[in-house]
Amino acid sequence: MKRREFIKASSYFCIYLSGGGSISYPFSFSPSKSTNLSRVEARYYEKLPDREIRCLLCPRYCHLGDKERGYCGVRENEGGTYYTLVYGKVCALNVDPIEKKPFFHFYPGTQAFSLATVGCNVNCKFCQNWQISQVRPEQVEAFDLPPEAVGLAAKNNNCLSIAYTYTEPVVFFEYMVDSALASKNYGIKNVVVTGGHINLKPLEELIKVVDAIKVDLKSFSESFYKEYVRGELKPVLEAIKLIHQRKKWLEIVYLVIPTLNDQELMIRQLCRWLLKETGPDVPLHFSRFHPMYLLKNLPPTPISTLEKLHSIAKEEGLRYVYIGNVPGHKAESTYCPFCGQMIIERVGYQIGRMELRQGRCRFCHSTIPGIWS
Amino acid sequence: MADKTKVIVIHAKGILSNSKPDPQRLQAIIIKGLTLLTSQEKDKEAVEKIFSPSDRVGIKINTIAGARLTTSPELALALTTVLNRGGIPERNMVIWDRTNRELKEAGYPLLTSRDKLKIFGTDTSGAGYESEPYSFRNIGSLFSTILTNFVTASISLAVLKDHGLAGLTAGMKNYFGAIHNPNKYHDNHCNPYLAELCASPPIKSKHRLTILDALLIQYHKGPSFHPRWATQYESLIFGLDPVATDTVGWQIIEKLRAEKGLPSLKEEGRPPLYLETATSLGLGESNLSRIQIIEEEV
Repeated sequence: MKRREFIKASSYFCIYLSGGGSISYPFSFSPSKSTNLSRVEARYYEKLPDREIRCLLCPRYCHLGDKERGYCGVRENEGGTYYTLVYGKVCALNVDPIEKKPFFHFYPGTQAFSLATVGCNVNCKFCQNWQISQVRPEQVEAFDLPPEAVGLAAKNNNCLSIAYTYTEPVVFFEYMVDSALASKNYGIKNVVVTGGHINLKPLEELIKVVDAIKVDLKSFSESFYKEYVRGELKPVLEAIKLIHQRKKWLEIVYLVIPTLNDQELMIRQLCRWLLKETGPDVPLHFSRFHPMYLLKNLPPTPISTLEKLHSIAKEEGLRYVYIGNVPGHKAESTYCPFCGQMIIERVGYQIGRMELRQGRCRFCHSTIPGIWS
Repeated sequence: MADKTKVIVIHAKGILSNSKPDPQRLQAIIIKGLTLLTSQEKDKEAVEKIFSPSDRVGIKINTIAGARLTTSPELALALTTVLNRGGIPERNMVIWDRTNRELKEAGYPLLTSRDKLKIFGTDTSGAGYESEPYSFRNIGSLFSTILTNFVTASISLAVLKDHGLAGLTAGMKNYFGAIHNPNKYHDNHCNPYLAELCASPPIKSKHRLTILDALLIQYHKGPSFHPRWATQYESLIFGLDPVATDTVGWQIIEKLRAEKGLPSLKEEGRPPLYLETATSLGLGESNLSRIQIIEEEV
């Protein structure tokens, strides 16, 4: 897709960096087109004999010889030193509603300065952004946006937060951490949208510098992860547990793919696990699948399936369960689990009525978990 | 013997001088290899046996390891000379790899003239990758348009090397450079991905010939260059069967490893099992007892 076509098809505040030429952006800064890859040393790896390295960032533990790249495609061993090639090399940049991430219990109605570099450490057959996640940095144009510029750009564009999203932020870990730290000077929040395929040590570092994390849990089955994600479930569950243990705001999204990960028994087991490990208050979003990338042979998720899984999650005791990618569905809104009243009305990414007062239901005054103001 | 798949190994002792091969001798080796492979008397007949004059021939080389362990530029150019004498017009040949940067670093001139031999990478303006992924078994990749659009017949002119993950990198693995996401296929020693990639129609339908550059072999710690474990083997290996050719290459690597007191790839837990998988997919022969190896000295 050409950049102009994308902009036309997207929201007003949008840059998708895939073409040349000049264009007037509604941003108060002008990123310059990147002409090279970054050479910033990675932070989680070990040096091995004979110019080999082992990456310690994610559960793949890529063991690489000289001149080889990791599974993510954006980290390279050069002479026995491991480098990130995408530090400050942004390939997608938008101002999005925070609801689009989705975060439903984190400053609703605010804007998130959303960015990505290319790359991903898994290879989901249903990836919605494969044109930027499943490529190498040489294959997509990028712009230079150093960490110290991200926070100011977010502030100048009236964004409360920076969202690291679209691809897999774990693969641009160093850039994300440095941007998050630098943005503190501007009072900007930082949120991460991730598949959770990260080792615990770097995750601990990440948790310290960001304000909220949304994990895309793709299934509750190892075999699904192996076949359709090319990753592992166990480390994702460990990541979810750690994020919750560290009291970092957490939301979970589950993309429901017809026939592949929509088994009711499995969803029930998942909900029980979430209840046990993270309690009843972590929001769970069941999101509607649309055929994409390497899974074009399946139909969109029937809404009745989403509603069934929603009811299972509620039966199991989860208090904040949502249905996503179905604009206008009543399960987009937040209801007080104690009095049943609608307390945040949503239609698509738009916020309607807000019946919260200082984090409490306006009707029964129960505390509603989240970060509200 | 007649039903065995044939692989030709041509040795050329002393062909390397200051690490560079003698271009004239290279042509002689290529002619010898192709005539033995096709059981023809003359080079033109050998070329005609493999290609049609209307073919647009892509020569996929391997430049990833840089100038010291690349498909030799002298070899690639000598091959185009032999093909040209065999009736393939220069303008219908392209020597290619992933990027222009790698080609240049490996010592190849970039040539894009319409009526002459072409040398360029997939990242050349006007080339690039297909816009939609091609899905085949476990493979989902964008293929280089050099392979899908320009080329009607493909030669894998690969470097024979040990590979830390795959065990072996040779003619088949060279095609990892024809897709946009080879990094996604290194799990499980590249098995079954490598076999499935080569069995995918964009490659299987066009691959005609494998030639392994075994002038310098990295028999350990590949695919990058480590002079300590590289040896001047001064040979080329020819095969119409991509699996059999790589199988013979593997045996040479094992022989060199044994001579140097190194454990076998199997003992190191990384035998190139993708060769067996390739056989099961009907790509060729991985059983040495069914391969006829013809060795000659030129």
